[in-house]
Amino acid sequence: MSDLVVLALKLLFLALLWLFVLFVGNVIRTDMFGRKFATNEVGELQPVAELKKQKRRGTRPAKKVPSTLRITRGKQEGLTLPLGEGIKIGRAADCQLVLDDDYVSTRHAQIVRTDNGYVVEDLGSTNGTYVNNERISVSTPFGTADTLRIGRTLMVVEK
Amino acid sequence: MGEVVVFRKRRGVELVMLIMGMGLAVAGYALVSLNVDGELPGDFYWGVGLYVAIGLAAHVVIRLRAPYADPLLFPLVYTLNGFGLAMIYRLDLGGSKRMHSAELQLTWTAISVAVFIAVLFLLKDHRKLQRFPYLMFLAGMAILMMPLLPVIGFENHGARIWIKLGPYSFQPAELAKIVLTVAFASYLVEKKDVLALAGARFLGIDLPRPRDLGPIIVMWLSSLAVLIFQKDLGTSLLFFGLFVMMLYVATERPSWPILGTLLFLGGAFVGWLTYGHVQTRVSAWLNPFANWDQNYQIIQGQFGMAWGGLFGTGWGLGRPNLTPLAKNDFIAAALGEELGVAGLMAIIVIYGVIVMRGLRTALTAREPFSKLLAAGLSFVFALQVFAIIGGVTRLLPLTGLTTPFVSQGGSSLVANYAMIALLLVVTHRVRRPRTAAEEPQQSLAHDTTQVIAVPSRAAQPRPEPTFGDTPLSADDPLPDQQDAEPTAAIPAPGGADEPTTALPTGTGAGAGAGADEPTTALPTGADPNEPTTALPTRSAPGDDRPLWRQP
Repeated sequence: MSDLVVLALKLLFLALLWLFVLFVGNVIRTDMFGRKFATNEVGELQPVAELKKQKRRGTRPAKKVPSTLRITRGKQEGLTLPLGEGIKIGRAADCQLVLDDDYVSTRHAQIVRTDNGYVVEDLGSTNGTYVNNERISVSTPFGTADTLRIGRTLMVVEK
Repeated sequence: MGEVVVFRKRRGVELVMLIMGMGLAVAGYALVSLNVDGELPGDFYWGVGLYVAIGLAAHVVIRLRAPYADPLLFPLVYTLNGFGLAMIYRLDLGGSKRMHSAELQLTWTAISVAVFIAVLFLLKDHRKLQRFPYLMFLAGMAILMMPLLPVIGFENHGARIWIKLGPYSFQPAELAKIVLTVAFASYLVEKKDVLALAGARFLGIDLPRPRDLGPIIVMWLSSLAVLIFQKDLGTSLLFFGLFVMMLYVATERPSWPILGTLLFLGGAFVGWLTYGHVQTRVSAWLNPFANWDQNYQIIQGQFGMAWGGLFGTGWGLGRPNLTPLAKNDFIAAALGEELGVAGLMAIIVIYGVIVMRGLRTALTAREPFSKLLAAGLSFVFALQVFAIIGGVTRLLPLTGLTTPFVSQGGSSLVANYAMIALLLVVTHRVRRPRTAAEEPQQSLAHDTTQVIAVPSRAAQPRPEPTFGDTPLSADDPLPDQQDAEPTAAIPAPGGADEPTTALPTGTGAGAGAGADEPTTALPTGADPNEPTTALPTRSAPGDDRPLWRQP
């Protein structure tokens, strides 16, 4: 190859390398603020695109899942609360379910809706989260047949 | 109607960036062949095909297992890996006889990506790693100190940071940095509140309390041990710096990094005064030209980069082989020679972006463990790149660390890919949309939430919980259960004499006294003065462990 071609290829490579870096910068820029979602009245997140999809398909999946949490034992016995897309349980002010229980951590556990119903996840609590008296470490399904225990409080999910 | 920010999946972006990065690496490989031989090698398409196939396989696995993971991390590290392969191939060609370390490195790339995929598949939730901080710490320290063992550890190029098992040699520090980062993160989640307590105030800075200095002193002594016995400043700096920085992230107290820097400088100064090999390293850093033979490598690296200049000599047209160990420690000098300052800076920017994405994950994370883990992994990566490229460019004394993803070496590649996989798991969990679950308080005050008035417990039986078949209900005081054991439910006044074994809990006297009282739902333990019939404990009689501690 002639020297000129070699030089051109060398500079072309460096130019493409920096172009790659600029593309990386652009990805960072577009990723910086995520995408904004409107929240509907119930406080659940619904991206506009998925709202449209749900309208097309109807809202059957949402109706099928039992979605009310009821406290069956503990100081707040009898309290019910809709689960919606999921709730966080703990003693911190930003938890949707603030338990009055000495054995509950600040951010104790969370219940998240998945495609196959609700699951419980422990958020690194001190005294653990128990589903059917077994301490959980990973996301565990939480249906009508299960009992969730956090500290001294028992919870079930109902229709 | 409010607005909430949610991250997109961005797997398409990842694919585009991956293809661009792989294209650059393949272009580098092709340019080396064209510039050295004037033609593409016979197995060019095999090599390129394997490299592209491995990258695409990893991308598909990320799509399946971590769809919300950061879109830049994998394309960037795979691009660096490709540059490393191209440069190692170039150094293979440059020697007096043709070598085959690029093929070996491509094999190691395949193995590393397999490990990467395995981590993505096996580790669903990184918080599982949080459980054993002290065991992890001991394991990490044991791995770190392994090169000091008499048989397997050995010294190579002045630093004792290698172990040899049969034909394979391995740098345990690469693995130790992951294990210790996990250990520090889980330890600091537990202890950060204590370590953040302020002690005496000095020059406007709250110093930590003297009694909290234990952990930092332990880490300081271990890093001094690494410096003195393993003779490697980089490894020593890596682990002490990691711990101090994670302390700072956890406690947000500037006194920790100030204290850590002073301790490290003090230790390094004493090491310099006392040990000959530290003095050698420092003189090679400050005055390399004073001793040509001893500092031959670092001098050749300097000449190479000077020869490269702003735009480099071009792939395959420099003479990076003149530097000893150009494939390992000095690959940054080889890249600087052939790609020039422009190319080396682009590579450093890519490293910087990897670190930045990790730190950004730490900022986005909500739980302390994810925060500390992401921050720790990115920082230890940054420190390693800083130490080795700083050493090659004579900003720092030279160290024996590898240049992550670029330099030749299987253990380093495997460990760094495992680390990136761990970081991807964290970013996936952090960037996943959390919907209402993670957003601030909104449900309890809402009108769909209501507190149902509970009737007085004394007047009305407790509403039967719908536990279904759960084991807990077995000991509930169901009516039929009481019917079956009339002696327990309707005791005579002298109930203490009756056999009371039918009661699930409580002493005989307590059960006799309490059975005719209304039931209560409060699990108040085996207090004999309390009615115990409704206690949901499953413990044996006389076992007074409270409910919440049962396994």
